[in-house]
Amino acid sequence: MKLYQIVGKDIMRRKKRVLYAALGVVIGTMTVVGILTIAFAGQAKIYKQLEQYGPNLTVIPAINNLDMKLGNLSMGTLTVGENYISEDQLPKIRQIADSKIREALKITDEGDIATIAPQLYENTKVNGVSLVVVGIEPQEELKVKTWWDVGKGEYLSGSDDALVGAIAADLLKLNVGDTVALNQTNVKVTGILTETGASDDYQIFIPLQTVQSAFNKEGVISSMDIRALCNACPVEMIAESINKNIPGVRAIAVKQIAQSELGLVQKMNGMMFALAGITLVVGLFGVVNTMMSSVHERIKDIGIMRAVGASRKQIVRIFIYEAVLIGIIGGIAGYLMGTAMAYIIGPLVFEGTTVYFVPQYFPVALLVSIFVAVAAAVYPAMKASEIRVADSFRSV
Amino acid sequence: MLEVINASKIYGEGEAKVTALDNVSLKVENGNFIAVMGPSGSGKSTLLNIIGGLDQLSSGEVILDGNRIDGYDENALVDIRRGKIAYVFQQYHLLPSLTALENVLLPLIFAGKGKNEKDALEILKRVGLEKRASHKPSQLSGGEQQRVAIARTLVMGPSLILADEPTGNMDQKTGNEILRLFTELNEEGRSIIMVTHSAEIAKQAKEIINLQDGQIVDRNTHFQIEVPCLTRRY
Repeated sequence: MKLYQIVGKDIMRRKKRVLYAALGVVIGTMTVVGILTIAFAGQAKIYKQLEQYGPNLTVIPAINNLDMKLGNLSMGTLTVGENYISEDQLPKIRQIADSKIREALKITDEGDIATIAPQLYENTKVNGVSLVVVGIEPQEELKVKTWWDVGKGEYLSGSDDALVGAIAADLLKLNVGDTVALNQTNVKVTGILTETGASDDYQIFIPLQTVQSAFNKEGVISSMDIRALCNACPVEMIAESINKNIPGVRAIAVKQIAQSELGLVQKMNGMMFALAGITLVVGLFGVVNTMMSSVHERIKDIGIMRAVGASRKQIVRIFIYEAVLIGIIGGIAGYLMGTAMAYIIGPLVFEGTTVYFVPQYFPVALLVSIFVAVAAAVYPAMKASEIRVADSFRSV
Repeated sequence: MLEVINASKIYGEGEAKVTALDNVSLKVENGNFIAVMGPSGSGKSTLLNIIGGLDQLSSGEVILDGNRIDGYDENALVDIRRGKIAYVFQQYHLLPSLTALENVLLPLIFAGKGKNEKDALEILKRVGLEKRASHKPSQLSGGEQQRVAIARTLVMGPSLILADEPTGNMDQKTGNEILRLFTELNEEGRSIIMVTHSAEIAKQAKEIINLQDGQIVDRNTHFQIEVPCLTRRY
């Protein structure tokens, strides 16, 4: 038989007391786990939004509008530069993007990393209505526009297929299976997008090469979206490098908005963590309190143990063992209750956020709670070890 | 051999000052059996506590086997409790959550010899309780609990047993059984110092010490003395 077994037997006799002591730890740990879980869900939501912003970079032709002025008199604007980017630039841009990402993430893999989706915009009239036809590379475009949802029909597969934005389909009264004439080239509507709230709703998407040949724009594109597929990718550096090395184009990083939102979430998390810390400290004092009364209750038992040969250290150890058990109970219960709390409160904090339990937080909860319980036990344990045998029996 | 020299113990200060022991000197040879008698508050328990290092002296000396133990620090006192001196109390002082056997094992566990369940069981057998080994104190009678407490002192093989009214809570028959156990232990060569109120019990000892107001008023090997406190009812 070992000392901890004695502690175990003693705890079984005082179950309620021990559970009561664990309550302080449970509440503290619950708050920490709850906040961590909610913060995790919030961050996941932001990252998802970040993805939904689509490309990390947009490359457009470098057009300079020069204001022509004569004194105070405006003479109009002179536009300098091409309205298109040559397709020849595509491999160069890919090379810059991929090498920067490799550098940042320390990847040695040789394959393509970034997704590059070129687009060619053309104004045209369909059934007398003026709208924009967009030539795209179907697979690449889908990776950039993760929010696209084909409501009716199917996504583009053949070269004569057309994907129609929700409002465009409505205005033109187009349905899946209808044929549309674009500059003498007939394409067939294979799918209609659900409404996105963006300009996509007003556009018709057709494979790039079809648009290029229909409008005699072989070898050129209007813009391209680059998606690095990672949140840590150095988009600003990629943009800078493209701007420096490729003439005639302008690369713009479009990550900032989501990033500032992420910063806000992180600030909020910081505040919530401070709150959780306070709860932990309050819980700690709760445990100190119950432990102290447990010491008083057990003065006689402690005296007995001292009388039959327990050293001060052993008395301290008895209380620390008990604290570890309280910590384990607190960790398990705190994790479960904290996760439950996150499930209830999470969606209220970040509207519409789905909260998932995070198994990695279980060891964290366990460690935090054991630490708090043991820290709380130190003072009562010291007090208990200072009890003099003769005094302990006198008080009974 | 145990020697107490000019031992005094004063509780409190100023007007609340109580002198529990007043300049007590005492010699106990190895193998002696001393009964300590005296009215309540005469300092009997204090004397025991001081001998066993459970309480500290205000002045004086306690010498056990040639070592002065009254000034011992906590660790040294723990060592003494783990072998040389053991206690038996009136209230038995067993841990309620442990079985009889576990209570007997307790000193071994604290001394880091927790794997001696056989020895502990053997000692329980010796006090006639091997069939009660797995009972909790609450399931045992007073006499049985005191036997467990005595077994608990025996596991460490002490040379000196300090007993504070060990039969005080028992009827005469049970008390006599417990006393017989003490006599046996004494016959094995262990010194016993036992506080008691009962002249009947005290008669079984080799010597009787009478305490009054913290002083030894009488030390006697004859048992015909009438002790004033005998009329006390308990």
